[in-house]
Amino acid sequence: MKVNEWCMYCGECAGVCPRSLIEVRESCLIFNENECKDCRICIQVCPVQALSKEE
Amino acid sequence: MSIETDILVIGAGPAGSSAAKHAALNGAKVLMIDKKSEIGTPKRCAEGVSKEGLKTLGIEPSSRWIAKELTGVKFISPNGTSVWLNEERVKLPEAGYILERKIFDKHMAMNAARAGVEIMVKTIATGLKRSEEGIIVSAECMDQSFDIHTKIVIAADGPESRVGRWAGLKTTLKPKDMESCAQFEMARVEMDDPNSIEFYFGSVAPGGYAWIFPKGDDIANVGLGIITTKTDKTAYEHLLEFVSNCPSTQNAQPVELNIGGDPVGGMLKKLVTDNLVIVGDAASQVSPLTGGGIISAMKGGVFAGEVTAAAIEEGNYSQKRLQEYQDKCEVEMVKTFKKELKVKNYLLNLSDEELDSIADAFKNTEFERISTKEIIKVLVKVSPKALLKLGKLF
Ligand SMILES: Cc1cc2nc3c(=O)[nH]c(=O)nc-3n(C[C@H](O)[C@H](O)[C@H](O)COP(=O)(O)OP(=O)(O)OC[C@H]3O[C@@H](n4cnc5c(N)ncnc54)[C@H](O)[C@@H]3O)c2cc1C
Ligand code: SF4
Ligand code: SF4
Repeated sequence: MKVNEWCMYCGECAGVCPRSLIEVRESCLIFNENECKDCRICIQVCPVQALSKEE
Repeated sequence: MSIETDILVIGAGPAGSSAAKHAALNGAKVLMIDKKSEIGTPKRCAEGVSKEGLKTLGIEPSSRWIAKELTGVKFISPNGTSVWLNEERVKLPEAGYILERKIFDKHMAMNAARAGVEIMVKTIATGLKRSEEGIIVSAECMDQSFDIHTKIVIAADGPESRVGRWAGLKTTLKPKDMESCAQFEMARVEMDDPNSIEFYFGSVAPGGYAWIFPKGDDIANVGLGIITTKTDKTAYEHLLEFVSNCPSTQNAQPVELNIGGDPVGGMLKKLVTDNLVIVGDAASQVSPLTGGGIISAMKGGVFAGEVTAAAIEEGNYSQKRLQEYQDKCEVEMVKTFKKELKVKNYLLNLSDEELDSIADAFKNTEFERISTKEIIKVLVKVSPKALLKLGKLF
């Protein structure tokens, strides 16, 4: 997952990830990529489109 | 390094500070941690609270954290027709304040400290496991990693809420139950009345609404919440459109951008397990209709603090003992939230044209004189099908 520079660490993506794979720190986001099922719900809810999938 | 406590509160927002304070006041040894370096910042809130809510919580309003006292509320339909309720036209027991959340949250944490709570900032909980005595939470502060041994965890970790999940509670939200919000704090906002809050309904904010909450004569929080399954645009894109079209914000300039999720699906079904309770946004203790969660988070916090402190005194931290917390929350919140969900679904079923007709029908109404029957008559005329879904509300 690519976290764009304009992410504001609001945590909305973490709240909806069905597998609880996103850890939101004060100024960084940590994804457990190995478990990711590519459902893209986190991308969909982000208020500022800060996430994109690295194809 | 390892730390021991009776109760560990994770998250120092309104829910956490309220829970921590009341647990300490009831005799427990309490540690509260927050990953932020400054409690309350950045804000993720439009900062509106009801006077009644603060009163019920026994919190004295203070000029240090109140930005504005409100005397009215205005509902604006998609074509700009407004229904304005102010103290001259109707009694508004729910009138309220606009807070300075950054100061309010800190103030609440300070009150918790004064009650005896130990606080660690810039300290994040990263995991949890059970032990014979209770729970061991792994935490990090700067370059230090350590364990916190606790008998009970109060998970007040907000809408991102992972702590409850670590203990097996289902706190993950579906996108349809999480409003995606974006807001500017702006100067040079031109409001008809800087003491009234404004709500804008319809396609301006699919699945939610837009708001202008005044903080000063020309200062306001201008924002909106949307349900992302109902639109292809982001909340931020909707906000830019709203600001460029709304007459009040034609000359307005932003001084701050806030974003965040608001869990509006109604309170979660299960809030307790052995040695752990969840509270506030983490438990979806948020009004499904307005998205307001400050007061309900703090009420949940009071219950969580009192029940967990009593459990500590009795030496019983089982799910069965902690169930009292859930029962109290159900009595206080669930019935109201269910009604609000119905009203919200009704509003979301209406088209822009139907919302305009309702606003048109009510725009000059003397609300103190109108009966429920007359209100229903108007609503039936606008959309009988949608009204059916409201069921027995009146
Ligand atoms: C845009 C927007 C506008 C809103 N407007 C209003 C409004 O006008 N009125 C109203 O009543 N409500 C409003 N709300 C809702 C309101 O902000 C929340 O309901 C309220 O903040 C909930 O309080 P809380 O303590 O549960 O969570 P939060 O205030 O989110 O606090 C949670 C805390 O937990 C910390 N945390 C999270 N994870 C960890 C971890 N692992 N370790 C350590 N710390 C952690 C976070 O840093 C945070 O400080 C709005 C919400 C949004 C998004
Ligand atoms: S929802 Fe978007 S802005 Fe918020 S933490 Fe996730 S990626 Fe960042
Ligand atoms: S794509 Fe789905 S599983 Fe992967 S991190 Fe995002 S929400 Fe979680």
